[in-house]
Amino acid sequence: MNRAETLQHLAWLCRNGRTAVAPVIEASGWTELDAVLPGGGWQVGTIVELMPTAVGIGELQLLMPALARITSAGRHVTLVAPPYIPFAPALSQHGVRLERLLVIQAQRAEDILWATEQSLRCRSFGAVLAWPATVRDREIRRLQLAAEAGGSTGFLYRSVDAAREASPAALRLKLQRIANVLQIDVVKCRGGRRGVSVQVAAPCSGCA
Amino acid sequence: MLWLCIALPQLPLEALRSEDTDAPLVVAACEGSARWIVCGNPAAHSARLKPDMNYTVALALCPTVQKLERSAAAETAALERLAAWAYQFSSTVIPGEVPLDFRRARSGALWLEIGGSLKLFGGFRDFIAALERELGLLHYSYQLGIGPTLEGAALLARSGIRVVMPSPAALQLRIRNLPIALLALEPEIAGALHTAGVRTIGLLLELPRDAVIKRFGVQLGNFLDRLVGTAADPRPVFRLPARYAARFDFEFEVKSTEALLFPLRRMLHEFAGFLRARDTGVQRFTITFAHRGAAGTPMAIGLSLADRDANRFLTLVREQLEHLELPAPTIGLGLAADQFAMPAALQADLTHGSLQQNEELAHTIDRLAARLGAQHVHGLRQVADHRPEASWTAAPLQAARATPQFPERPLWLLQEPKPLQLSVVPQIVSGPERIEGGWWDSGDVQRNYYVMHLSNGSSLWVYQDLGERGGWYLHGFWS
Repeated sequence: MNRAETLQHLAWLCRNGRTAVAPVIEASGWTELDAVLPGGGWQVGTIVELMPTAVGIGELQLLMPALARITSAGRHVTLVAPPYIPFAPALSQHGVRLERLLVIQAQRAEDILWATEQSLRCRSFGAVLAWPATVRDREIRRLQLAAEAGGSTGFLYRSVDAAREASPAALRLKLQRIANVLQIDVVKCRGGRRGVSVQVAAPCSGCA
Repeated sequence: MLWLCIALPQLPLEALRSEDTDAPLVVAACEGSARWIVCGNPAAHSARLKPDMNYTVALALCPTVQKLERSAAAETAALERLAAWAYQFSSTVIPGEVPLDFRRARSGALWLEIGGSLKLFGGFRDFIAALERELGLLHYSYQLGIGPTLEGAALLARSGIRVVMPSPAALQLRIRNLPIALLALEPEIAGALHTAGVRTIGLLLELPRDAVIKRFGVQLGNFLDRLVGTAADPRPVFRLPARYAARFDFEFEVKSTEALLFPLRRMLHEFAGFLRARDTGVQRFTITFAHRGAAGTPMAIGLSLADRDANRFLTLVREQLEHLELPAPTIGLGLAADQFAMPAALQADLTHGSLQQNEELAHTIDRLAARLGAQHVHGLRQVADHRPEASWTAAPLQAARATPQFPERPLWLLQEPKPLQLSVVPQIVSGPERIEGGWWDSGDVQRNYYVMHLSNGSSLWVYQDLGERGGWYLHGFWS
């Protein structure tokens, strides 16, 4: 490509770049949730914040259908700084291919963010789940760019207190268990409606 | 035969230091009771410090000058590393000897037979371009000369004549008017020639051979024969070693790890050259930091895929170096590798699409492991053991295995079971599931597992210890 062609190409990208490319969607695997998410699922190349009210309410199970599909399709998934041991037998029972799952243990806040960014940037990873100790707006924007570059989706698990603050993440979901269902409150949704609540009939774990 | 000579006029300095400073710096050597300057950096030149100057005079001229002691061992080591590097361009590489006399120390050189390589590299221009591109990464001052004899090529290099002299006749014609000083002869012979009024090489070559030998010794006669190609010039050819072991001694202490990156960059580029010469790659190599009077500190670099890219090596080394605590200042570096493997990128079919991604994955994992520690970046594997804590293990990412079957399990497991402390009465949803085993490895367990629900929505995986310890424990979350 010579210089003139490059310039033309760049001009074309500016005109059509963002709108011309339809976002890639990874179905969440939960019909009720897909119905309220724009495009009908997790949008690839974005950052999603998940804010559960307690541990053990099905906050990880929510992602299992997507992780099972991503790993079966030959892409990898990373868990960065998980708070507990991701239990291999359970992951396997949910259909996650363990040979495509990478666990990264990091202590320091900057290491967690760095590892998350590195994984998001790598095109081999379809999803990156991270449990950052703290995360600031600027860092989320950085992760957002990395997710776009790598074509992967970043799921950040944050404390439920973060739901009250603003964040540049494309999608923010508050999770709580009410009786036998997992209630998902859409705190923010770029290109969709916020303030919606949806109840996912996630089987009440362990009581099958 | 067509020889390319890489002359290294600054080798005594550059063998000890791979980066330049703005402060005047010289290398000095002792002879008799005096100390003489062998060579200096550009800042020393600007301060009018010249080679062969008495060091005392130099100190008077420039009191701030820094001095390194000349090390013939370091020069030999540098030439050996360079020879291994140069092997990628020619299968006949001759490293020159390191002269002991300090006046001739600036004549260090390396020869490559290039007649056979030109075609491989797509002609003369491309060959020189490729060579200079790689050589530039090593940060040596160099001059190139190409001629039909070793001494002829070296003379052309020292004279800065970058024109190929394909035949001895063309060479003789071209060097006729060059001064004798460029021959880098023994100081006594050079002095005698000067006294006799022989100032140019042409004049010297016109003298009858017998008279030259009678007056200036047989050594000079033989040298002239080798120069113009009337006598053969057999020298030991460099053999590529099976293992790679390179050293870089500084002769001064380096305290900051940042400063170590300069010599490391050169060493890694030389190492990459060696790997190209052997047409192979490496998955593991070791860098050793030498300390004065203490054992060296080794640093192992591991890669997921065999590779030979110096820049990727450097990224990994830099990450690991940031976390390395060196017990003492570093006075030298070693780089060793003994197992080689073809880089995956060259091995596999390039049309295979996922290859690039696999490679990218491997590089990402290497970077992560280099910074966070290899034990902190791992995959997961199931183990056929009923005890929950023994039914999984951290393992490198690898191909799928047969999976043992267990009843439904929670997604989170606690590192250690935690004594259960509840302020409210939990609701037991299912259980008990009896899990026993481990008497064979002294991790004996006898437990009844239950699923409990708390009022805040959490599902817990708890067990009642039926063994000696007794009590209730939290072991996981159904997250």
